Amino acid sequence: MLLRTSLRSFFAHKGRMALSLIAVVLSVAFVSGTLVFSNTATSTFSKLFAATASDISVQPPKPADDEEPQAGDKPATVPAPLAQQVASVPGVKTAIGQVMVGNAILVNPATNKLVGPTSGAPTLVGNWTDTPRNPVKITSGHVPQNSGELVLDADTAKKAGLGIGDKVRVDNATGQHPYTIAGIATFTTTNPGAALAFLDTATAQQVLLGEQAYTSVEAFGDGSRSNDRLKADTLAELGSRYQVKTAAEQKADNTKAIGSGLDFMKYAMLGFAGISLIVGGFLIINTFSMLVAQRTREIGLLRAIGGSRRQVNGSVLVEALILGVLGSTLGVAVGLGVAVGLIKLMNAIGMDLKASDLEVGPDVFVAGYAVGILITVVAAWIPARRASRIAPMAALRDHGTPAEARSNLVRTVLGVLLTGGGAGLLVLAGTADRAGTGGQLLGLGLLLTLIGFVVLGPLLATVVIKVLGALLPALFGPSGKLAQRNAMRNPRRTGATAAALMIGLALVIGSSVFSSSAVSSASVQIDRSVGVDYIISGGQAPVTAEMMDAVKRTPGIDHVTTQENLLRTKVQLPGGQNARTDLTAVPASFFGSDFHPTVSSGAMDSIGRGSLGIGETFAEDHGLKVGDRVTVDYGKGRTQTLPVGVVFQKGGLLGDGSFVGLDALAQVVPAAEQPPVWTFFAKAAPGADVGRTLTALQEALQQYPQLTVKDQAGYKELVQSQVNTLLYLIYGLVGLSITVAVLGVVNTLALSVVERTREIGLLRAIGISRRQLRRMIRLESVVIALFGAVLGTGLGLAWGVTAQRVLRDQGLGTLSVPTTTVVVTLVSSVVIGLVAALVPAFRAGRMNVLAAIATD
Amino acid sequence: MTTAAAVYDPQLPGGPSAVAATARQVTKAYGSGETRVTALDAVDVDIQRGRFTAIMGPSGSGKSTLMHCLAGLDTVSSGRIWIGDTEITGLRDKQLTRLRRDKIGFIFQAFNLLPTLNALENITLPMDIAGRRPDQAWLDQVVETVGLAGRLKHRPTQLSGGQQQRVAVARALAARPEIIFGDEPTGNLDSRAGAEVLTFLRRSVDELGQTMVMVTHDPVAAGYADRVLFLADGVIVDEMHAPTADSVLERMRRFDGKRTS
Repeated sequence: MLLRTSLRSFFAHKGRMALSLIAVVLSVAFVSGTLVFSNTATSTFSKLFAATASDISVQPPKPADDEEPQAGDKPATVPAPLAQQVASVPGVKTAIGQVMVGNAILVNPATNKLVGPTSGAPTLVGNWTDTPRNPVKITSGHVPQNSGELVLDADTAKKAGLGIGDKVRVDNATGQHPYTIAGIATFTTTNPGAALAFLDTATAQQVLLGEQAYTSVEAFGDGSRSNDRLKADTLAELGSRYQVKTAAEQKADNTKAIGSGLDFMKYAMLGFAGISLIVGGFLIINTFSMLVAQRTREIGLLRAIGGSRRQVNGSVLVEALILGVLGSTLGVAVGLGVAVGLIKLMNAIGMDLKASDLEVGPDVFVAGYAVGILITVVAAWIPARRASRIAPMAALRDHGTPAEARSNLVRTVLGVLLTGGGAGLLVLAGTADRAGTGGQLLGLGLLLTLIGFVVLGPLLATVVIKVLGALLPALFGPSGKLAQRNAMRNPRRTGATAAALMIGLALVIGSSVFSSSAVSSASVQIDRSVGVDYIISGGQAPVTAEMMDAVKRTPGIDHVTTQENLLRTKVQLPGGQNARTDLTAVPASFFGSDFHPTVSSGAMDSIGRGSLGIGETFAEDHGLKVGDRVTVDYGKGRTQTLPVGVVFQKGGLLGDGSFVGLDALAQVVPAAEQPPVWTFFAKAAPGADVGRTLTALQEALQQYPQLTVKDQAGYKELVQSQVNTLLYLIYGLVGLSITVAVLGVVNTLALSVVERTREIGLLRAIGISRRQLRRMIRLESVVIALFGAVLGTGLGLAWGVTAQRVLRDQGLGTLSVPTTTVVVTLVSSVVIGLVAALVPAFRAGRMNVLAAIATD
Repeated sequence: MTTAAAVYDPQLPGGPSAVAATARQVTKAYGSGETRVTALDAVDVDIQRGRFTAIMGPSGSGKSTLMHCLAGLDTVSSGRIWIGDTEITGLRDKQLTRLRRDKIGFIFQAFNLLPTLNALENITLPMDIAGRRPDQAWLDQVVETVGLAGRLKHRPTQLSGGQQQRVAVARALAARPEIIFGDEPTGNLDSRAGAEVLTFLRRSVDELGQTMVMVTHDPVAAGYADRVLFLADGVIVDEMHAPTADSVLERMRRFDGKRTS
């Protein structure tokens, strides 16, 4: 009986449910689409790794726990004789020494263009081996047979337009190495998007490693023993110096590595799902509130004839459940489409996943339905409770529009407390000494102010709309007056509708304040503390001496300066305790005219005289001051005790890293073992034209396509574009939340129009024109949207400014409020209001006057 | 009554000055073929200017339909209708809306007022919509006549049912329409409040010279009118001048008797 009433009621209001349904479908689609995509990717790669992994792989020793692998260091190797040693293990049929490195690039010498992926996927260069589980096979030409031949994978060759006989150059830290393509190899499994190039083993060792060694030894058993047994025997034979991994272990390692690469995408997608869930929740609350309000008499009657509160509550929740099930089902289906879209996207950036291999596990359905049903039932809970509170007397009362909900005292007090508390936390965050504490306070304050605003929404609606709407009667006459009154007549509904919009716009404004501050801070810092004119950064391969020479020889260049990065270097403090810091080794001339960051204490040029430079935060954290002696551990037992010569002020361009002179480094670390250079700088000669010299530099570096040359302006643009990449993601999120919020406004207006049928009929009878009527509804919509935008802008500004204050010492020293974005947001909220009112206004205009006023 | 065949020409002497609304051969039918229902069947009516006309009839007689057609709220299937000397049959929605706004006042049985506006705002709403300034002296007089002076700032929910109907009467009068249509204006009121409202309607005709048409099924209400038209099955079957509640009741009884016989 209960189910039947719920079902009937659901289908009687299917138009109204449609908008809520869209919100549920969107959220579920993002959740299930993400799951299907990551399932598919993981399964594709596990298949790939399962098909190509050797039975056991012997790899170089794992770095000790306190030793960080340095980026761009020479690849770790195992000695060549190890292959024979492994081959001698009982049960091993073949053991093949493999060379495979990721620190070289491929260049087409004819065009000086990079060969291979440019969008993050690696270029791997190695030796050609005939393993039983080779992921590629030669499909034309032949294997590399001498030191001048190279085999390229077919996909890369096709993309670069290269074929057998064409020239390809391998560039790495040791220089440029020309080859002729002797063969083309095609993937026998899924191509994970990497570019592969193979040399013969001797050449690979000499060019890529500079020694007679391998990066790993891959062994294949004869089938007589299990992989675990082989591993144990190999360990017994070699001792525990090397890492030995079974096929299963290799697969797990590789899958994990790919998985973490896909994580970013996964979290972004789940962010989308989360936003559409939150905003969709408001939509559902509103829909059910209005349905309950409309059915007050009906519910009162049900109660009068003996229906219990629980039954009334239940009937509303069952309706929500129907919505949830329907929405989840559609959502999962749409999710498959989302997954296919993501796969196409990955294809576009070179990852070869197949849409036909969609992996839809039971977890997709479990998660999809759980999300969809939970959100609808939870969101319908509040209206359902309100419905169950309707007294039987309601059936007897004269109907008309439902009574206006008075914002009660509890709500006001709660809202004020939350907002006040949140605001207090934001202030605390902005004044916190440490970014970490500030960040936590910011997070909490952000959450509290958001919830506070949502709770206070109805109260604010009355106040803000009174102010906002004060102009309407003057500007738009009676339509304006009616619109203003209508927007204020149900503050709770207006508040909830605007809240959905508020969240999206608060995110836009908050993140634009943040990003615009980041860009202008970087720009201010560059102007203040950077003296060099050009920054030249390498790609996948390190910078070579030839490149620096090429720059030095360019007319208009005065000199170049370099830096070598030692990440997370261990240092011993005067008290004996250890700490880690990102250490950069720089030439004596680095600080001065080339870079002049603000100094907190000490002298910048002391670094050139064998002292250490440290950041202010690091100094404060460890109680260090100028003159203290610190022992730097460069690894392999090489240590050096240096005095602190300078403390750099926090918030500068160089972050909180430490600096040491290259001369000091050279005293303990031989040149061959120093970290490579990834980025270097150049200064124009006095009087040289900076722009023309940039062009000259670009020409001089033409044969090194992996290098990018930027002048200061270009570098600022680069910072801007990096920030923008993040912004686009946020804007995507926001676009979605605004879409759902617009659905909410449409929903509210459509229901209001239905509810006010008789009022509209009366207005039409006494002579309001269709045009005036439509304008009235449009203006109401604009007022609601603008109200949401004003709240969102206020919140967003508070959030953005606090975030800047929190990060003022982390490179966000300059606050910049993007006024254009704020204005555009407010103006577009007007457009949003107009768009949302299109259909409801049209329908109100079409309403039959007689039917509307007919007495029943 | 005029003969059904005669075609009214408002330009003829004696026509427009004395007549506020005219219907000629007005037929209103719903549906078609076998399910066709005729609500009005070739009705001819003249509504005299400055008089109080009541339209009576049992449920389903077509009295509300006749009023809706006369007031430009509903379209006719055939026939012609004039308000003053403007023919409204064939007007487009925009022109009809303007006509209702400027020339016609309405009092409905219930839900006459916008809940978001106070009494005064409701009274001046038609003029606001038209963008006209109300004539303050006239407005004061109307407010005085319906006895609302102390309640102008009240919202409809703060007024009693009788007061709400009086606001509706004031709204209808304030814009000085050519004609006011009332659709059971006292249908929702108790007899005392109803008598009050009817007295105001009567006074507005006598003292302000207003033309009034009221649909009712209450003989007491009809007793306030100058003339009563009796409608049955979409046809005007009788009329009565200077009626009293008793004479109307008597006529209705005969009417019922005839129907049941």
